[in-house]
Amino acid sequence: MDKRSTQSAPRIFTLQPSSGIPIYRQLIDQVRRMVASGQLMHGTELPSVREVAAEYTVNPTTISKAYGLLEGEGLLQRNRGKPMTIAGVRRNQGARPQRLKHLEAQIDALALAAVQLDLQAADLIGLIRKKMGEGS
Amino acid sequence: MIDSIVSARQLGKTIKDRTILRDISVDVTPGNVVGVIGKNGAGKTTLLEILLGFSPPTSGNSALFGHDSFTLPASVKAKIGFVPQQEELVNPITGTQLLLLTASLHRHWNPSLTSTLSEAWEIPLTRPIQTLSAGERQKLSTLLALGHEPELLVLDEPAASLDPIARRQFLQQILEIAAAQTRTVLFSTHIVSDLERVANQIWIIRHGTLVWQGDLDALKESVVRLNIHARQPLPASLGVSNVLSCRVEGPHATAVVSRWDGLPARDLEQRLNANVEVENLSLEDIFVELHS
Repeated sequence: MDKRSTQSAPRIFTLQPSSGIPIYRQLIDQVRRMVASGQLMHGTELPSVREVAAEYTVNPTTISKAYGLLEGEGLLQRNRGKPMTIAGVRRNQGARPQRLKHLEAQIDALALAAVQLDLQAADLIGLIRKKMGEGS
Repeated sequence: MIDSIVSARQLGKTIKDRTILRDISVDVTPGNVVGVIGKNGAGKTTLLEILLGFSPPTSGNSALFGHDSFTLPASVKAKIGFVPQQEELVNPITGTQLLLLTASLHRHWNPSLTSTLSEAWEIPLTRPIQTLSAGERQKLSTLLALGHEPELLVLDEPAASLDPIARRQFLQQILEIAAAQTRTVLFSTHIVSDLERVANQIWIIRHGTLVWQGDLDALKESVVRLNIHARQPLPASLGVSNVLSCRVEGPHATAVVSRWDGLPARDLEQRLNANVEVENLSLEDIFVELHS
């Protein structure tokens, strides 16, 4: 039913059902990034599968798939009878190569665009350093 | 397969010499929302009618809740709700009267659900049905199929005459049903963007044959467009398997591939000495590609 009147919390995700990327993948990528960037901190409660499905008008199966996979990764914590929360920061959340793997899709896209623009890796590195606040 | 709500094996339907459906086998388990898409005349309505037992198949068999579709006992029929493409509402009475009449035909009826929905959907229940607009009639027809809280809800083009707000409310209602996880929805539509929201399973029918049946997420992950750019002319045959369509022109090529394994295209890049961009496709693009 129409939930507008009962919904108070602002949206935290951006889900595009008509994208070629399945909704569960969009959700996983966003949670990973928001955790990595500190926008979602340890203990933050996530809306329930049902709430996300109703708010975004999407099938609940794809949302619960995303939550399940994120839980499997150790990013989310399931709490009996309570909302899922962002798990504690794991100091060793996998070795560096594993963490880098999360960026593979973005790096592929960046590399492709750079090649098309006839740019070298060296051209990008300075920019990336700056964006990441590591100086040059 | 007691778990299957809908189960059909090798369904075929021929009318005179015309084949409407060919060799269709499907299973639907509880909690799924199955979206059926196909061009006009692809056989969507015929398939739904056979599954519901309105019309017998020429070959094969179909069952609902484990009972042959064509001889469903009343106890099984009571678990089904159906919204036909062309609503068949009785004209001279009011919506309220029709609701009461329909409720009286069912052992179980949820009057608070129908009153909540008729208010939310702004259905003018006090007016004679023949004075309602097409959209209002469709909403009323849907309401009548929801009141007995069916375990299986089948809808044939349910949203065609609904405005965007009404359609969204209708989709929300389907999701409410899906969230129960024990109820099942099967619906056909032309509105691909609706399917992408509420369906988790997709059947794509083309010329009476199912060309895809399965997870929507899996479909989106397995059908991709490869945009290939090289500095030298590319071979006419790219040596990629499961190609749906392919165009090669000098150093550029575009290929749409089904059953892509999801891996980066490194092997292909090396073999062709080219850049390969893997593009995910929307359901609408996939639908068009499956018909190319």
